Amino acid sequence: MMKSQAEYKLKSPPDDAISSVKFGPNTNQFLLVSSWDSYVRLYDVTANNLRQKYSHENAVLDCCFTDAVHSYSGGLDNTLKSFDFNTATESVIGTHANPIKCVEYCNELNCVLTGSWDHHVKLWDLRTSGASGNYNQSERVYSMDTCGEKLLVATAGRKVLVWDIRNMAYALQKRETSLKYQTRAIKAFPNKLGFVLSSIEGRVAVEYLDSNPEIQKKKYAFKCHRIKEDGLEKIYPVNAVSFHPIHNTFATGGSDGYVNVWDGFNKKRLCQFHQYLTSVTSLSFSHNGSVLAIGCSYFLEEDKPPSSLPEDTIYIRSVTDQETKPKYSSNS
Amino acid sequence: MGRKKKKQSKPWCWYCNREFDDEKILIQHQKAKHFKCHICHKKLYTGPGLSIHCMQVHKETIDKVPNSLPNRSNVDIEIYGMEGIPPQDLKDHERQKQSTRGPDSSDEDEPASKKVKPEGLLGNAPPGMPGLMPPGMVPGLVHPPPGLPPGMQMMPMAPMGAPPFMHPGMPPMLPPHMMMQSQPGPPKPLFPSAVPSSSPGAAVVGADFKPISSGATISAPPTTNTPCSSSSSSSQTPKSSTIQATGTSSKIIHPLEDISLEEIRARLPKYSRGSSWQKSEDAGSSTSTSTSEMSIAVSAAQQAAATQAAVIQAKAQEVQHQHMAMMGRMAAAAAAFPVRVSGPPFSVVTGAPVMAGPTMGVLRAPLIGGPLMRHPPIGMPPGMIQMPPGVMYGAPMFPGMIMQPRFR
Repeated sequence: MMKSQAEYKLKSPPDDAISSVKFGPNTNQFLLVSSWDSYVRLYDVTANNLRQKYSHENAVLDCCFTDAVHSYSGGLDNTLKSFDFNTATESVIGTHANPIKCVEYCNELNCVLTGSWDHHVKLWDLRTSGASGNYNQSERVYSMDTCGEKLLVATAGRKVLVWDIRNMAYALQKRETSLKYQTRAIKAFPNKLGFVLSSIEGRVAVEYLDSNPEIQKKKYAFKCHRIKEDGLEKIYPVNAVSFHPIHNTFATGGSDGYVNVWDGFNKKRLCQFHQYLTSVTSLSFSHNGSVLAIGCSYFLEEDKPPSSLPEDTIYIRSVTDQETKPKYSSNS
Repeated sequence: MGRKKKKQSKPWCWYCNREFDDEKILIQHQKAKHFKCHICHKKLYTGPGLSIHCMQVHKETIDKVPNSLPNRSNVDIEIYGMEGIPPQDLKDHERQKQSTRGPDSSDEDEPASKKVKPEGLLGNAPPGMPGLMPPGMVPGLVHPPPGLPPGMQMMPMAPMGAPPFMHPGMPPMLPPHMMMQSQPGPPKPLFPSAVPSSSPGAAVVGADFKPISSGATISAPPTTNTPCSSSSSSSQTPKSSTIQATGTSSKIIHPLEDISLEEIRARLPKYSRGSSWQKSEDAGSSTSTSTSEMSIAVSAAQQAAATQAAVIQAKAQEVQHQHMAMMGRMAAAAAAFPVRVSGPPFSVVTGAPVMAGPTMGVLRAPLIGGPLMRHPPIGMPPGMIQMPPGVMYGAPMFPGMIMQPRFR
């Protein structure tokens, strides 16, 4: 059935760890990749070549498309940059006091949101210049996602804040995560009902936004990305989560080098891919869910790093419905 | 007659003709016995599921359903419990049972099961051996006969202990009703050892999904204060908080310090260009929470401009303790990545004087390692410093380029 030729490596990968891979809004073809080598690259994954790249002053921690030809990115240089791939021009949009960890685009409101280790989220309205707002999250921002007009912010100290981007005057909710270890990633379900959180301790939580107790009862968490070796269970951080845009299933990538695909509503694992050479740091499904980009980089997790560090690699994998579609669609 | 009817309606496994009291048990049996991947022991849900799994995950073809009767080994028939059994086989099974039972007096059924006959064999009895009365098996399973190897016949029951897939994670995690209580307490006992954040933070936040009320939480960033104030243990580097161990039989593959991998990576000297964030984390909460070691370290750092050696020593002490491992790791990692220095850390010099500011007191462990580590040893061969390799990054303690604290 599925053969491994459904997967290939991108040529001319970044020279340092991959911080983020993101597919373009309406294409299986273009992939944006930010890296610790301080570059943001645009790949044509169909032709398997590097189209363009632009640089920051320092490592880039996140990037996003706002439309097919514009990208936004930020990183250790504290600076939010945008780049127009048509004209190959870049512009500095603004800065944070500390490195920018997350850059997200809100399609509904046509704005970019940046989350930083300076404890703040900034809102950048693309129609105007400069930041439209600066919002205290009271902790370093570790991961962010938009959920329609809501913004989910996961911070250090295991907190999750839910904001309404249209009214950032106050946070709609502030929760402690149900996971007891540091949050690695947060991603909203495409159907906007809830979100998935992953932690450094091989665990993933499925939570719901509706604070109705009946709905909240459905939340749960499960273990994953663990490897038993000689009686010792190695528990790996779950670095990346990406939702299938159609099926509401999601892929998780861990420092164990595995990618799993889950059906969060039915509590099922749909499949596990083969083990990659090193930690999976970033994942992105394409707009129609037919392709998954997998960024792999060693990320200093272990006490003793491997003698030769594995290459930074981006895999492009075609996925089938069999791997990503709920088997028993009790709810469609 | 009535009893016979009951028996006939018992669910049975198409793959091995075994009967069960309950379809749930049957499904568990099938998952454990017939749908389990022989390579990774993952339990699938159907025969086709197993074959797809093996194909996709292990790149192996499965041509037979494991532990199935010879004529029932088809992997393409989708059977789940009693669903999907070909009608012909259903009929045959019924007929066969009747014929089996017919001769046996009806009260034979019950005793047979209780009497614990050598059922191990019977369980797999092919349909062609009707005399062996497979139906009698079931009760035997429920009350395991003493001589029975538990791994074998008890299989159907076993899944109780080890539910498939994601389920294992669930029971220990969050009984949902627990989460619903409104006090902050309930979720905690579930992870008693785990909540690294301070109680104030937790208390404010309360139950997980409580909407935020006013700005109360904002003023109390939890993880920061506690560790500092609580780290009274003498020689220990004050920790911002560390990742709790999970026990002896498991290990979290993550640096000890409870900050993100990105933050740790960002401390590598090659990323030090013009970034000053390490010091400024938690600017808001930086007040009076410092330990004596900290101030020592800090003053040592301040003197750095004058006495490089002193600093190195002080730092060596600090660093050696807890950050040894981490820094060693970094050193190795850095060795593998060519250190890229784009230019002298311009902001550093101007930043240095700020060090003396009162806020310095709050420097916490990561920061100590952090700022000191960040600047690449320009012009100073690492070998010059006689320090364990892990401390190397601390070495670049050149006067004036130590740190550029903005917020502290």
